[in-house]
Order: sequence, then structure tokens, then C-alpha cells
Amino acid sequence: MNLNYSEEQTMLREQIQKFCESEYDFYKREDVVKSDQDFDAKAWSLFAEQGWLSMPFSEESGGFGFGAVELAVLFEEFGKALVIEPYLSTVVLSGTLLDKSNYVNKVQIIEGICAGTSHVSLAYSETAKSYDYLAPQTTLSEDGLSLSGTKTLVLNGGNASKFIVTCKKGNDFGLVIVDADQDGVSLNSFSTIDGQSCSEIIFDNVAIDLDSIIAIGDEAQKLFQDSINLGTLCIGAEAVGCMTSCYLKTVEYTKTREQFEQPISNFQVLQHRMVDMFIDSELARSLLFKAMLEVDADSDEKYKHVSALKAHVGKAGKLSAQNAVQLHGGMGVSEEMMIGHYLKKMVFIDALFGNADHHLKQFSK
Amino acid sequence: MDINFSKEDIQFRDEVREWVANDYPKHVKYKQDNGEPLTREDMVDYHKAIAAKGWMGYNWPVEHGGTGWTSTQLYIYNQEFGKAGCPPLLAFGVSMVAPVIYTFGNDEQKQRFLPDILNFNTWWCQGYSEPGSGSDLASLKTKAVRDGDNYIINGAKTWTTLAQSADWIFVLVRTDSSGIKQQGISFILVDMKTPGIEVKPIITIDGEHEVNSVFFTDVVVPAENLVGEEGKGWTYAKFLLAHERFGIAAVGASMRQLSRLKEIVSKLDNQDLDKKVAEIEISISALELTELRLLSALENGGHPGAESSILKIKGTEIQQGLTEIFVEAAGEYALMYPGPHGYGSNDKPSGPDFAANSLSSFLNMRKTSIYGGSNEIQKNIISKFVLGV
Repeated sequence: MNLNYSEEQTMLREQIQKFCESEYDFYKREDVVKSDQDFDAKAWSLFAEQGWLSMPFSEESGGFGFGAVELAVLFEEFGKALVIEPYLSTVVLSGTLLDKSNYVNKVQIIEGICAGTSHVSLAYSETAKSYDYLAPQTTLSEDGLSLSGTKTLVLNGGNASKFIVTCKKGNDFGLVIVDADQDGVSLNSFSTIDGQSCSEIIFDNVAIDLDSIIAIGDEAQKLFQDSINLGTLCIGAEAVGCMTSCYLKTVEYTKTREQFEQPISNFQVLQHRMVDMFIDSELARSLLFKAMLEVDADSDEKYKHVSALKAHVGKAGKLSAQNAVQLHGGMGVSEEMMIGHYLKKMVFIDALFGNADHHLKQFSK
Repeated sequence: MDINFSKEDIQFRDEVREWVANDYPKHVKYKQDNGEPLTREDMVDYHKAIAAKGWMGYNWPVEHGGTGWTSTQLYIYNQEFGKAGCPPLLAFGVSMVAPVIYTFGNDEQKQRFLPDILNFNTWWCQGYSEPGSGSDLASLKTKAVRDGDNYIINGAKTWTTLAQSADWIFVLVRTDSSGIKQQGISFILVDMKTPGIEVKPIITIDGEHEVNSVFFTDVVVPAENLVGEEGKGWTYAKFLLAHERFGIAAVGASMRQLSRLKEIVSKLDNQDLDKKVAEIEISISALELTELRLLSALENGGHPGAESSILKIKGTEIQQGLTEIFVEAAGEYALMYPGPHGYGSNDKPSGPDFAANSLSSFLNMRKTSIYGGSNEIQKNIISKFVLGV
């Protein structure tokens, strides 16, 4: 048994940390949030140069064949720095789904992703009310030639050149790929609470040919579930990064903030609250370890342990961020301070791919 | 990263598992599972069985007759015993006083005390807390005054677990009051049969007699029973507390209780309870991995420090949480429990078997967040040594 990161994994972490410190501090991030694209093209090409966009893909597709552990390292660091680049939607959700599929044009699309020249988004959510992603109303006609339906919360949809769309064909679950500029595709883009962008997309009798169908039936379902499961693990790791930063930044702040002629970190009630934040972040990290190792082992338990992680961070992560805001006082609720943005990120993470209650139920199934 | 144990460790696990399944006293496991109190004989039985197997000195170095196991083997040992429903070994002899004796004691003390601890020929208890000294242990007042070749001890210890069964007690006493309170404390071994020692039971809210007050009135103890140097007792006391960190999370035992609980709750069709069970199962999984992470750091030359306080805090919260869900699962049947005076009737109430003992386990487990450095003290430790505030 060895639960330590390898030298290569530690180097990867250091590279990402270096990027976050020098290229993505809170003020630069604010510029990205305010930009029209909601991502930083310069940073994205740097990701491509560093090879980060190729990490999880198989060597046959031109990737490094890295697993969940490396992705978790990346997302943990993204969480600490609140990076909002569309890595989740393009690389994790869409890219790994394609990579594992038998889709004929996948290598070409993945090459574009690795090079940083194309974005692909997964369109899976419909009502934004239920997490029953396997029962879409979006329909692929019986002859397989036309797609109709409405999708919401398509992350980074406005920048994507292609969409992978979940649909039903008769009683089967299906995955098709659609070009963003095809006739019948119309989209409306919005900002998300954490500063990213997403789109609502209407597919109105969009022409589909055989080459646009990724998979139908059980195969499609498995591809989709694995993609969402990996995405959930990644935002779980992102949450671990947020929780770690929340307690560290709060400790730092309370040591310098003086009230009643002393640093407020002297007060035991604050100390114990920070200890609770620390403990919850360590427990989250432990659940992350379990989940990522199960995912990399491709075990039957992998969904269950990702649910355990998501259930914990959904609840404890929000609480941690709320405590961070509380202990920062007025600073915590100031838009121009970083700390409040962790709370927004944690709210985002909890709601995405099933909240804590949902994953608690999944876990106990 | 690799979460799997090595081939050798798996062999070891299978050996422990097999022995526990075949040779561990079955009546003890049964009582432990069902929350029934163990008698003195039960406890002697299982300690003697483990001693006969040669596993008593599980955390001792080989030179003193211990197993010399690695941290991973220790972990596996604790885990397997807990999962099989075996109560933990009494810590007072084997993992509290013994490491102090073999680290700070003289050769004569080692020869005199260690073999009897390994064979469970002597039962030890711990004389730490006093009526006025709980979390602030260093404020202790029990006095030992040097008188020729002896010390004369006067004072009172309290919450002394199983003092009624003990042959020996290790006590922290004040031998000097002139300096700061941490100075002038000494560590002395006392035969419980010495005249002037009086043990009075304290009945706890579960109705059990587990803890006691121990009074010392002009108790004459040979000076050779002093361990290490006079006045260095606080150093030894801290060493002792730091020594027994592994196993404190009681993950194996909690897993055992969880699987019993899941079996019960699965028949109730109660979604609120399902949710609570799922939550606590996730906490157990998180704690298990936290312990493994610390273990991995240790095996790779690291020094898990105050982080191990997490094991105490979460481990005890989980142990308590499990008993709470048992009580809830028992519903109103939980309210008819024996208590200190037994049932009114000789028949048992009509509820499920687990109901009667669910409440006494719940009440008994309250102690876990209080003893061994209360959970609030653990948070102070984390705050000071991990967060640096």
C-alpha cells in the first residue's frame, strides 16, 4: 500500500500551481469572468502546450493515458485558484466520452481538443430539476435522421464547435454529435454563478447522419455514465481544493485581523470552527482518494465511491465556505474579495451532477 | 498510488482473520455484538487467549517480547479484531504502562512487570484523572512524599476504569509543588493491595460499574516503584498518550456495528433512517481512508502528528452516531431497558433483541468523546499544532 503521489504527479501539481500563481491570480481571473468568452484563450493554449489538454486520453488518440489521480491533482489546484477554464466540459465530459467510444471520427476531434483549437460540450441536462439524465426527452427520430429537443446548462456551450447530445431513440438511450453551426441549432448563453458560461440550446429537426451517432443503447448509457462519473470526481477534487483554501485562508485572515486588542484567532470559538473546516477538508480528501483509486481500477464500486465524495463535499464544502465567509466578516461578503467566490463555487459544485441528497441516495442503493 | 496491501500483509491478515474466527472466545464476541456487559472472567478469557497466541505485545518491539509488527500489521490486527466483533484489548497494561516501563524504566522493572503484562497475569489500571483535574491534567494534586526508601501517597484519583479488577495502578503524583504545574509530577507504580487504597464504584448512566474513585490515604510505596526520574512524570505521561494513536479510530469495530445496523434498518422501510445510515457509512469510509493515509505516510518515513487527533474526534463521533441510530431503529422499544436495577419482570420486553441493549450502548458510548483527551482538547491540539493558531 502506498497512498503517496509519485514524483511525476507531484511535478504535475507544481506545474499547475506555478501556472495559477503567475498566470491566474484572482485579478486576472476577474478579467476572464468579465470577458465575452468566459475563458482565457491565452491560458487555454498554454494548457495545450503543457500537454494538460491531452492528459486523460488514450495513447491511440494522441493522449498521455493518465488516470483519475492526475485529473484530481489538476482539479484540486483549479479549485484552490478558482480557475474557470472549460476543462471539465471539453476535456473530461466530452473528450473522455469520445475517447472510450467507437465513434468513427473521434481521433480527429480529440486531436483538436488536445491542440486547444476546438471545444466540445456535452448537452445532457433538460429540466434542471431532476438528475435523471438517462431519461431525456430530446428525441432522435425512428429513422435516425433528425434530432429535436431542448437542453439546458450546457457548460461552455457558446464556445463549442460541437455538441454531444443525449437523446432517446424509441426506448433506447442515445448519444449523437452535432455541429454548432448546423441548421436547426439555436442557443442562448448565460453566465453561471461561479463565473463560467453555459447555454440553453434548442435542437429543432437537426439533420443527423449515420456518422453523427456515437452510440445507442447500453453502450451509450455506459459511455455517458462513465463520463458523468469522471466529471463528478473532478469537481469533487475541485471541491477538495476549495475546502483546503477556505480553511487556510481563514486561518491566515484571523491571525492578522485584530479586534478587542488581539488577533481574533485567539478566540476558541473561532479556532474550533476552523478545526472543523480542516477536518472536513481532510475527510473530503480521504473520500477523494478512495473514489479516484476505484475509478482508476474501473471497479464495480466506482460510482458508489464517487457518490460518497460528492455527497460529502456538497454538504461539508458548502458549510466550509459559509464558515470562511462568516469568519471573514464583511470581507467575506465583498464581491472584490476572493473568499466569497469559494462559496459560489461550492454552491455550483453541489448542484452540478446531483446534489448531496441525490448522491446520498445513490450511495445507499 | 496503490491502495492494496502487499502479499505478505494479506497473508498476515488471513492469519489474523482465521485465528479470530476459530480461536477467539465466542461468548465474548456474542456479548460484544449485542451490547451486553462483559464480566471480569470474559475479559480474562480473551486476554489470555491472545496472550497464548503471542499477540499481546502487538505494539511492542521484539526485544521486550513484543511482536515487532509494522504499522501496517498493527492496523490490520486492529481492523480484523474490530470487524470480527472482538472488544479492544485493555490498553492500560499493554499499551499504556508497558511502553513507559520499557522506554524509561530500569532493567529490574522491565523484568518484574513486562512478562506479567504479556501473559495478562497482572491487570493494570490508570491513575490519571482526579476530582479537580480532568482536561487540565497537570493540575493534579495527589501527593507523594519521599520518606526514606518509600513514598507516602495521599490523594484521590477518579474515573479509574476497572479499578475493581486491577492488581496494579500507575499513578501520576506530585512530588514537588514549587515550580510550574507540569514540573514536579512523577510516575509511580502501585500495588492495589497496598493498605490505604480504597476503591469506590461510580455507576455510570448506562447502569454499569466500569469506573471508580480510588482514594489514597498514607499509602506506603517502595521508592523502587518510581519509573524514570522523579519530576519527569509529565514527559512520560505525554509519551504514553502519544503512543497509542492507532486503533483509536475503531474503524473495524464501527464497520461491524454498521453491518449489523444495515441489516436491521433494511427491514424497516424508513427513508430517514436509510439516509442516516448512508451518511455514517460515508463517514466511516472517510475515516478508514484517513487512517490509511496516515499509515502510508508513516510507512514512508513520515511523522503523522497532530492530524491523528482527527481519528479520535471522528472515530468517537461515529461510534456514538451508530448507537444513536440503533436507538432510533428500536423506536419505543428502546425505552424499556434494564438500567442499573434490572428489568421489573424476569421476562424480556417484546421488542427486537437489539432494542434492550441499544440504549445502554448509546449511554455507554458517551464516554468516548470525553476520555483520552476530550474532543474539545483534541480540537485545541489541532488548532495549535496543525493550524498554528
